[in-house]
Amino acid sequence: MTYAIEARQLTLDRRADSWSAARTRALDGIDLHVPEGAVVGLVGRNGAGKTTLLRTLLGLVTPTRGQSRLLGAPSLDLPDAVRERLGYAAQTPDLFRRLTGLSHLEEMAAVYAHVSLKVAATLAARLDLSLGKRADELSLGDQQKLSLVLALANDPDVLLLDEPMASLDPLSRRDVLRALFGLRERPEPRTVLISSHLLADLERIVSHVLFLREGRVQLFIGWDELLEHLRRVSCPQRPPALSPGQLHWSAHDGGQLLVDTRLVPAPGGACLDMTDVMELLNT
Amino acid sequence: MYCDGNTLMHMSPLGPRVSFDIQPHDGTPIYRQVVEQVQRLVASGRLAPGAEMPSVRTVAEAHAVNPMTVSKAYSLLEAQGLLSRRRGIGMVVAEGVTPAARPAERLALLQPALDAAAREARQLGIDPTAALDAFERALCQDISKAAL
Repeated sequence: MTYAIEARQLTLDRRADSWSAARTRALDGIDLHVPEGAVVGLVGRNGAGKTTLLRTLLGLVTPTRGQSRLLGAPSLDLPDAVRERLGYAAQTPDLFRRLTGLSHLEEMAAVYAHVSLKVAATLAARLDLSLGKRADELSLGDQQKLSLVLALANDPDVLLLDEPMASLDPLSRRDVLRALFGLRERPEPRTVLISSHLLADLERIVSHVLFLREGRVQLFIGWDELLEHLRRVSCPQRPPALSPGQLHWSAHDGGQLLVDTRLVPAPGGACLDMTDVMELLNT
Repeated sequence: MYCDGNTLMHMSPLGPRVSFDIQPHDGTPIYRQVVEQVQRLVASGRLAPGAEMPSVRTVAEAHAVNPMTVSKAYSLLEAQGLLSRRRGIGMVVAEGVTPAARPAERLALLQPALDAAAREARQLGIDPTAALDAFERALCQDISKAAL
């Protein structure tokens, strides 16, 4: 099995001078194996570590311990051959104020071999984005679109997106979801790791979902598998210890237990959507 | 155009064209929704052997869903013998697939939905007579909608 994205015991201590968070870790022993072609939704509350995880995977942040790899190469030492196959859109669009969209693309094309102005122009047209305007003339939503166009311009094999749709209208969001799967047939499906609070959007496209809380992976599971096998059952008393198949106990709503029905029969257990699971895992 | 449950069928010169009704948030995996809709259309005889399925890409684009999910549904239907892959065309309803002749077979396909509705009615404390009335009304509404 080859993994497009891997992390082993990835840990990042917060800075010692951050007194309020002196005892917490931004990332706390993250183990992750994302198979090629997976579309992973990265879900968690504000401050759970989503952005830090993405930035650490990209090598923009050096972990205190542990390591990660993208397309088999260590994050902290990505060769150009791997960089060219990556796409990343930061939460806050990282643009040059005075450059137009087109100039951004030309600058990228000068450095990276696989940047296609044609792909980018087609995508921009689909997103109803003008490439002729300077970045500082664009609305926040359009800046976000430009950032996505840039992330996709090299038709990347691995795409990391940090809240890519937060400022987009519902129609643009739909177009972005479609664009993630490529404007043309790809021999191998793209691997995508996408953080978002727009869970209904994620429910359309993800193959896997990664729930993060306080820098830890709480649950990493196939989305279809979750829908088919995980259920919520009422359980007023916190169990002294979770037995196999019992995934999480939440005090929420009179006491709830998240169970895997393959190990724990739960007749009448309630089906869950992504928001339900996130709520259970965070209470 | 006519309606089978919630799957729209468009009549075209080449025969019926299927477009799926996908509800990403109803708790049923999307691939399973596609599988079940094809099973129903075949069981009712509305999709006959040789009928073409829309391409994976078409379905994924139309619903803004992951193409792998649609592909997974088609592969499962192929494994069940309902669809077969035809070179140059894509997926078609397999030769030799016959509609479920007996009403009992078609009812068996409806059973999971009935079980789910019965469970929810009990959880909501709706008495059986009221639930039956509600189902009858839903049937009538659906039939009149489909007749439009």
